[in-house]
Amino acid sequence: MNEDETAPEAPVTGQGRMDVAWGANTGDEHPEDVQHASTPQSGEIFEQLYTPWTGQLNPRWMRNWSILRHHLLGIFKKGHRPWTMPTRIFILIAFLASLADAGMTLLSGVVGSSEFHSLFGVSRDNLYGHVLGFFPRNVLYYPLVAALLVGGVISEDRQHGTSALYFSRPISRFDYVGMKFLSVALIQALVILVTYALYFLAEVVAFGRGWAWMVDIFPMFLAGMFAGILLIITYTSIGLSLSSVSTGRFFPGIGLLAIVFGTKTLASIVKNLFEREILYLISPYDCVAHVGQALIGTQTTYDQYSWTYSLVALVAMNALALYVLASRVASMEVTRE
Amino acid sequence: MTDEPIIQTTSLTKAYGPHIALDNLNINIPRGATGLLGQNGAGKSTFLKTILGLIQATSGEGSVLGYDIRHQGVEIRQRIGYMPEYDALNPDMDAIHQVRYSGELLGMNPVVAMNRAHEALQFVGMGEQRYREIGSFSTGMKQATKLACAIIHDPDLLIADEPSNGLDMKAREFMISTLNTMVHGANRSVLMASHLMDDVERVCENIILLHKGTLAAQGKIDDLKAIDREIEIHVWGGATPLEQRLLDQGFKVRREGRVMRIAHTGEDTTSNILQAAADVGAQIRRMHEYEASLEDLFLAIMDNLGYSVKSSEDLLRSPVEARRVDAPESLGGGAA
Repeated sequence: MNEDETAPEAPVTGQGRMDVAWGANTGDEHPEDVQHASTPQSGEIFEQLYTPWTGQLNPRWMRNWSILRHHLLGIFKKGHRPWTMPTRIFILIAFLASLADAGMTLLSGVVGSSEFHSLFGVSRDNLYGHVLGFFPRNVLYYPLVAALLVGGVISEDRQHGTSALYFSRPISRFDYVGMKFLSVALIQALVILVTYALYFLAEVVAFGRGWAWMVDIFPMFLAGMFAGILLIITYTSIGLSLSSVSTGRFFPGIGLLAIVFGTKTLASIVKNLFEREILYLISPYDCVAHVGQALIGTQTTYDQYSWTYSLVALVAMNALALYVLASRVASMEVTRE
Repeated sequence: MTDEPIIQTTSLTKAYGPHIALDNLNINIPRGATGLLGQNGAGKSTFLKTILGLIQATSGEGSVLGYDIRHQGVEIRQRIGYMPEYDALNPDMDAIHQVRYSGELLGMNPVVAMNRAHEALQFVGMGEQRYREIGSFSTGMKQATKLACAIIHDPDLLIADEPSNGLDMKAREFMISTLNTMVHGANRSVLMASHLMDDVERVCENIILLHKGTLAAQGKIDDLKAIDREIEIHVWGGATPLEQRLLDQGFKVRREGRVMRIAHTGEDTTSNILQAAADVGAQIRRMHEYEASLEDLFLAIMDNLGYSVKSSEDLLRSPVEARRVDAPESLGGGAA
């Protein structure tokens, strides 16, 4: 190839590409010559080297912490449990929406309107409402957050066979299910209880509440916190039991919503038609609401039976759900799933 | 290094109600590579679960790396690496994070686990793909990632369940060479359960053969092969009379056209064959000792036990079908 051919102003003839395609030979070789495709000798750059490791393995608490950390950090960053994007976005939405009353309290403090404060500020009814108000929190936020979280927590271990990753290691079934339960419950607590605490804090900050006010209100605050924990435990138990009998994330999620809203709707219909409230005992939300009303001391909306009935129903629901969860997790295989 | 067996069981029995999955197993697995063979339903999975301490044996004793399988399951699972047969990876995670998490589940510090994950993935040839999502991996890459998960803590014993199953030729070769590097280069022990006899033979020097929960054979492959020694001859003319003559003399003969394999019975086997050929006027054009493969050995052992397994394909049948086919006629089986 001479210099004229490589000069910038030289015409594009395609000759160079043809040379590459056909080789640099003249093409005048004997027709019966055998042509071999030349196989370039590639250098071996991969050297398989086994590196020994002599470090110490940490005890049980560290293994359990790793499960918890894997699930919790997965909400915030990559490299841990891959929660789906809709789940992460909805948790953010529910978190921000749950802070609405805190924001309004701050606003009422800034505006200085007592009417505004009586609507949104900390009171017995509003503390109850932050955790157990049916609309919008227990229609639009909390059951949906729970459904999105529990959907794949155990079922995807069945689906992908990742249960073998846990049980072929020194993880007991109790630790496995316990840490999964705790991680799902803690994420819900972030949405329900952290916003609840921030709401209380907003009142203190916006109105300069002193120790006397805080000590006065604190029992109510604790009662609301306890009701929230009860709500989280109940939704998580039912949701995880559904997740443990499934191999996908859709059924457990939709199943939890069906149970929460289905039982509530059925009980409401029966109450409206026959003026009988007893069917609320099969509704997880209503049982928690009834117990929560009794704990916080707000006016009860369930008049025909004692709140202790609801407490017993809640214990029974949780016991049944945990039994299903335990028996299904006990049957999860290591050698094949 | 001690000569103590890494896995030892004494009269190990596991029963599920009336069904006996493991029947009085006395097994000694030495250091090095050992193949665990057996048909579907032979008890391989139950054996693995029992030695991992995941299920309690009905009776008998056992130890893995010196730890009691009844009471020290946690210690055992902390010191072995288990590579499951089936998918055990989250398809939405990167390989590096999946391997790191598997190390954390063993109790490794997250930073240490991350460093080891890099080393383990590099060792299994996945160094360039470690930040790719597992969902986009081929079967071979998934197998390699599972192996990395199993060896992240540098276990003394690797239990690999069908490590080369479903792999193409190149990936299979790499998996075999990797296991060989672990055994011969890194001096680690491997217990390899597989249906692929060739692969077992290339990695392992010992085998354990289970059949319907009982121990059919155990020992060095070379020693066991001696029970299936044969002389192979290529005959020109008079093959049928020669076959008949050898059968009349009490030899066990397998014939395929002009090729015959005669069971080795003693030092005079060769001279007896030559004499028989001379008597019937047959020409022996070639004669050599036939080197049995592990599959031949497996068939011979099954044959000795009275089970008519036809080939390794029978091993891959469903458990129900396998039982029906290979049961002795006295037990109502034998029909394909």
